[in-house]
Amino acid sequence: MSAPDSKQRKACWGTRDELWKCLDYNQDNAASCEKFQKEFEASCPAQWVKYFTKRRDFLKYKEKMQTEGFEPAAGPKESQS
Amino acid sequence: MFSVGSMLCLERRMLGLVGFIGGDLHATFGRLLRCPVRSSAVQKTSGSTHHPQRVWLSSQVPLCGHHTPKHRTGLYGPFTLGSSRGLLSLPLFTQRVTLSQGPNTSTAKIRLRTRLVVTLLFGGGLLGTWWYVRNEKRQNHRMQRIEQLKKVALGQGDFSLLDHRGHRRTKRDFLGSWVLLYFGFTHCPDICPEELDKVSAVVSSLDKDRSLPAVQPLFVTVDPERDNVAALERYVKDFHPRLIGLTGTPEEVKVAGKDYRVYASPGPKDEDGDYIVDHTILIYLVNPDGLFLDYYNRMKDDVQIAESVRNHMKSYVKL
Repeated sequence: MSAPDSKQRKACWGTRDELWKCLDYNQDNAASCEKFQKEFEASCPAQWVKYFTKRRDFLKYKEKMQTEGFEPAAGPKESQS
Repeated sequence: MFSVGSMLCLERRMLGLVGFIGGDLHATFGRLLRCPVRSSAVQKTSGSTHHPQRVWLSSQVPLCGHHTPKHRTGLYGPFTLGSSRGLLSLPLFTQRVTLSQGPNTSTAKIRLRTRLVVTLLFGGGLLGTWWYVRNEKRQNHRMQRIEQLKKVALGQGDFSLLDHRGHRRTKRDFLGSWVLLYFGFTHCPDICPEELDKVSAVVSSLDKDRSLPAVQPLFVTVDPERDNVAALERYVKDFHPRLIGLTGTPEEVKVAGKDYRVYASPGPKDEDGDYIVDHTILIYLVNPDGLFLDYYNRMKDDVQIAESVRNHMKSYVKL
C-alpha cells in the first residue's frame, strides 16, 4: 500500500477539517456529524483516522487545561523512614 | 518703526523659548523662524563682494534662526555650505553686532541652539553605543551557541544511503554546501509534509538572494521498510525541486539516524499493515564542512529559519 500523494493528503485533510468544524458546531456530538465522519474515514487511511481522532482529543484536552485550569498532580509521597 | 518690529520679534522669540521649555519644539521653531530681518545689521556686515546674496543670508541667520538643513549650528553661528572660508568670520562679526543691539534674544537663542545640538549629539551617541553593544552581545550569543552545538558534535559520522533516483550518496557528497536535513517517513499524516513544506519555503526564499550559496534540502526516511527508492521519488516531487530523498537498508538508515540522535519508533501495525512512526521532529542545519550548526523545531516558522540560516552563513564567511 503506497503512501498518499499530495492530492490525497489534501483531500484527507479537507474532510478532517469539515468533520472537526461540524463537531465544533455541535459541541462534539458525534451523532450529528455521521455524514462527515463517513467521508473522513473514506478519504483517509485507517491509521490516519486513528491518529487524527487522537489528535483532536488531545487538542480538546489541551484547550480544557488552558481555559479551565487544572490541579497539579500530587508528587511522590514521602516514604516512611 | 524698526524698534516696534524688533519688539515683536523679541516677544516671538520669548514665546518660542517658552515653547521649548514646555516641550513644544514645533512652536519653538515656528516662532523662531518667523522673525523679520534687521536691515541695519545687514548693512553693516555686507562687506564681502564675493557672494553678496550669501552674505545677506548668513547674517540673517543669527537674527532669525533661519533653519534650512544646511544651517547646522555651532557656537560660531551658521554658515552656508557654499561659502568660502572668508565668510566664516562674518557670522561671528554679525553676532557681535547683534549682541550689542539685543543681548537677551541672541544669547538666549544661541544657548538654545547649542543646547539642542549638544542634546542631539549626546542622544545620537547614546543610541549608537546601545546599538553597537546590542549587536556585539547578539554576536557573542551566536558564537556561544555554535560552540555548544559543536561540543554536542552531532553528525560527526558518515552515512551511506541511496537517493530517490537510486544513486548512492555519502555524507562527503554534500560537503561544500549548506544542508537542511529532515528525518521523516512518507506515510506521515501531517507533520512531515508540513515540515517539508517549511523547508521548501526556506530554501526558496534563500534562493532569491543571489549572494548566498544554494542550500541543499535532504529528507532521510526513518521507515526504510516501506520507503524504498520508488516511494521516495513519488514523495519528494511534491516539494522543492532540489529536495533529495535518502533511504537504504535498515542498518544504513539506523546509522544515519543515530548520528543525529534521531529517535524513531514504529507504532503497532493495523490490519492493513499500516503504522505510524513516532520520531524526532527537527530540521538540522549542517555547514559546508559537515558540521552540525543548528536545529529548528515545530515552533520556528520558515521566516525565522531563513533568517537564522542567513546569519549562520554570514558568520561562517567571517570565520
